Amino acid sequence: MEFFLEQILNGLVYGVLLFLTAAGLSLIFGLMNVVSLAHGSFFMMGGYVAYSLYRLTGSFWAALLLAPVPIVAAGVAMEVIFLRPLYRRGHLDQVLLTFGFTFIFLDAVQTIWGRDVLALPPPAVFDGVVALGTGVFSSYRLFLIGFGLAIALLLWLFLDRSQLGARVRAGVDDAAMAGGLGCNISALFTAIFGAGVALAALGGVAAGPIFGIYPGEDAEILIPAFIVIVVGGMGSLRGAFVGSLLIGEADTFGNAYMPQLALFLIYLVMAIVLLVRPQGLFGIKHGLAASPSGSTPAAPLPSRRALAIGLIGVAALVIYPLLVADYQRSLVTELLIFAIVAMSLDLLLGFTGLMSLGHAAFFGLGAYVVIVLGTFFDFNAWFGVALGIGAAALAALVIGYFCVRASGIPFLMLTLAFSQLVYSVALKWRDVTGGSDGIGLAVKPSLFGFTLSNSLTMYFVALFFFVLCFLGLRRLVSSPLGRVFIGIRENEARMLAIGYATRRYKLASFTIGGAVAGLAGGLYAVFNGFISPDAVYWSASGDILIMVMLGGAGTLLGPVFGAAAFLLMKNLVSTYSEHWLAIIGVVFVACVLFFPGGFWGTLRQVRIMTREKVPA
Amino acid sequence: MSVLRTESLYCAFGSLVVTKDVTLTVIKGERHVIIGPNGAGKTSLLNQIGGQLHAGRGRILLGGTDITQWPPNRIAQSGIARTFQRNNLFPNLTVLENLCLAVEARRGRPWDFFSLADHRHAVIRRAEALLAQVHIAGDASRPVHNLSYGEQRQLEIGLALAGEPTLLLLDEPTSGMSPAETKSMIALIASLPRTLSILMIEHDMNVVFTVADRITVFYYGEVLASGPPAEIRNDRRVREIYLGMED
Repeated sequence: MEFFLEQILNGLVYGVLLFLTAAGLSLIFGLMNVVSLAHGSFFMMGGYVAYSLYRLTGSFWAALLLAPVPIVAAGVAMEVIFLRPLYRRGHLDQVLLTFGFTFIFLDAVQTIWGRDVLALPPPAVFDGVVALGTGVFSSYRLFLIGFGLAIALLLWLFLDRSQLGARVRAGVDDAAMAGGLGCNISALFTAIFGAGVALAALGGVAAGPIFGIYPGEDAEILIPAFIVIVVGGMGSLRGAFVGSLLIGEADTFGNAYMPQLALFLIYLVMAIVLLVRPQGLFGIKHGLAASPSGSTPAAPLPSRRALAIGLIGVAALVIYPLLVADYQRSLVTELLIFAIVAMSLDLLLGFTGLMSLGHAAFFGLGAYVVIVLGTFFDFNAWFGVALGIGAAALAALVIGYFCVRASGIPFLMLTLAFSQLVYSVALKWRDVTGGSDGIGLAVKPSLFGFTLSNSLTMYFVALFFFVLCFLGLRRLVSSPLGRVFIGIRENEARMLAIGYATRRYKLASFTIGGAVAGLAGGLYAVFNGFISPDAVYWSASGDILIMVMLGGAGTLLGPVFGAAAFLLMKNLVSTYSEHWLAIIGVVFVACVLFFPGGFWGTLRQVRIMTREKVPA
Repeated sequence: MSVLRTESLYCAFGSLVVTKDVTLTVIKGERHVIIGPNGAGKTSLLNQIGGQLHAGRGRILLGGTDITQWPPNRIAQSGIARTFQRNNLFPNLTVLENLCLAVEARRGRPWDFFSLADHRHAVIRRAEALLAQVHIAGDASRPVHNLSYGEQRQLEIGLALAGEPTLLLLDEPTSGMSPAETKSMIALIASLPRTLSILMIEHDMNVVFTVADRITVFYYGEVLASGPPAEIRNDRRVREIYLGMED
């Protein structure tokens, strides 16, 4: 009985921390239609700043009160300087921008405070335990529950009773209308954004004495907070509250009574809610909004000149490995493999308009299948690649089935959440995956008697599959099915109105993209001989996304160049700088701000503009 | 013979009731025009029939089949096509690509992932025929955002006709058009075959009385009157609350 009660209280502790994060996320989403991926970073930074303040003042209370100040300043600066100029440009760009900042913040934290877990002691008053039946319970945890509930009550009073709260509610209902009625909407946005950041930072401080402070905390709180919002309903404070407690309790009880399945439990809750009440428990059902119009024109026809350039390109790629050393050969092999992943994400993102932030899951799955089967069952690697494609396609089909019920930002949150599930499995199923150490193949596989440890053989295998995928995907996007994908990207509501069951087509695109990523993962496993959970972490999905964006979504060749540029840059920078993360973040932000069409898209835009200047 | 029948349709957004107890019949081949002041619930009714909005209560019957809870794509596949009050096209695709998408949905093979869309001559020929039918001349490889506003309104109808509907829902086809454009829109509507039934919302009284076989007057979500144009023209209540404003 005491154990049971203790679990309830622990669930409340976790629930309250989730609420502090999810409340801000949900209000920001409701008001601005933006989900800030940096929200977990603010939580994490709250803990770190509090740690330093505690070292300075020796007082937990000073740390709790003061830590949110610099964090809010950083958050507000990010909103005003970077997000605000993008309000006219569609919300996905803003989400990507906040994603770039997660890299910058993580790098800053690791540079200033290092990578070790730091401990923040609880305040002296709450350093003891409280008798609880025959057992005891930490008094700090009890304080935390009370603190969280008090903040929830204050928030509710503020929204329900105050003048400013009424404006916020009006803004959540209809921002344009509220603006028309004389609210200063951009000031309101900034205020709410700042308040959300403050709550997250407070949560980060409060969590310190219980969980410690460490890099990676950002994703660990952000993903369950997403699940809370999906379960509770977007933009609803009540939903965030009920959802937080529900997820907090579900996770705690799962860990206590069935630790093997605990990981899946909160996803199961989410899946059930999505099926029964897609708008969330307290969400308002919205019609399908007009999708943000993609700015990329349809794929051009394969012309004779394009064919000639393509043949020259392939010829160059065939001759190249004969002229260079092993290292350069391997570099381009890796590049070709990542070009395949980038193209597969482009099918979703650039051609179907599906902003997936979990694509690395399918890549990783393909790789894990090859290595795990090879290690434990001595499977032939090529059979493993085929099975890996199948596993990735199946996973994409199942995950996609839930994700395509949402679109836009909720879709992005769902793909991210599911990919973190794959990551957690890779991390925790140690017997099979080797946990955080990863797992390697003992013997390099061979092909028709040629061993693939020969860099030349591996190079040509990768080149073969790259050309195959490129031609296959190009054919696909020029086919009637590909045109349907493009139609969905351009205007999903109209596609429904002319008779397309758009969900099925989106699922098809998602599954094909997942299968191709699985192929690339399998090739990577053969090439690299090793895989670890890092390859499926959300930042790996971010890497693939940035390859696509750098090159230009909606053009198949763009992401190929994007992948090349990204990997070459990574190779170059990481040889003489430790701040690779921050540099990715800055490139990400710059890309969103200045090159929305990517390299290829910008090139094409310039060509169209110069062509239009010539009188016909 | 009725093509479409709505029975006691009711729909509300929170406390705002947009349609209450709407019972309405469209007879085969008729041009049925809905008029009424702004906010009377006309577009909401069309959205309910098209499946964009789901009714709170009541039934929608298409030739005897209850389609009330069907999603929009299924309704479109079963022969109801619609246009939108504000142009709702694929602005970055070409005129021909817009129409091909709609043709492919109805009689093509949209799951075909291997043939080239640009080589699907049967689909393209049908799209070109539609282009002629809705009087859009000129280069069909222009992106739609380069078309004039009036041409985009015509293309709206082209997309709807591509679905080979038995019932066409038109939401203010002439809104925002110049007098010349309106004239050609009336001609376009008049040229549609009588095997096709039309339910249309319209504000321009010239258009209404030129086109309509039957007029239904909406007022605050309810049907105020319904009948042949001559009857509506002389209906005292209608003159008071609606036509009176035109004088």
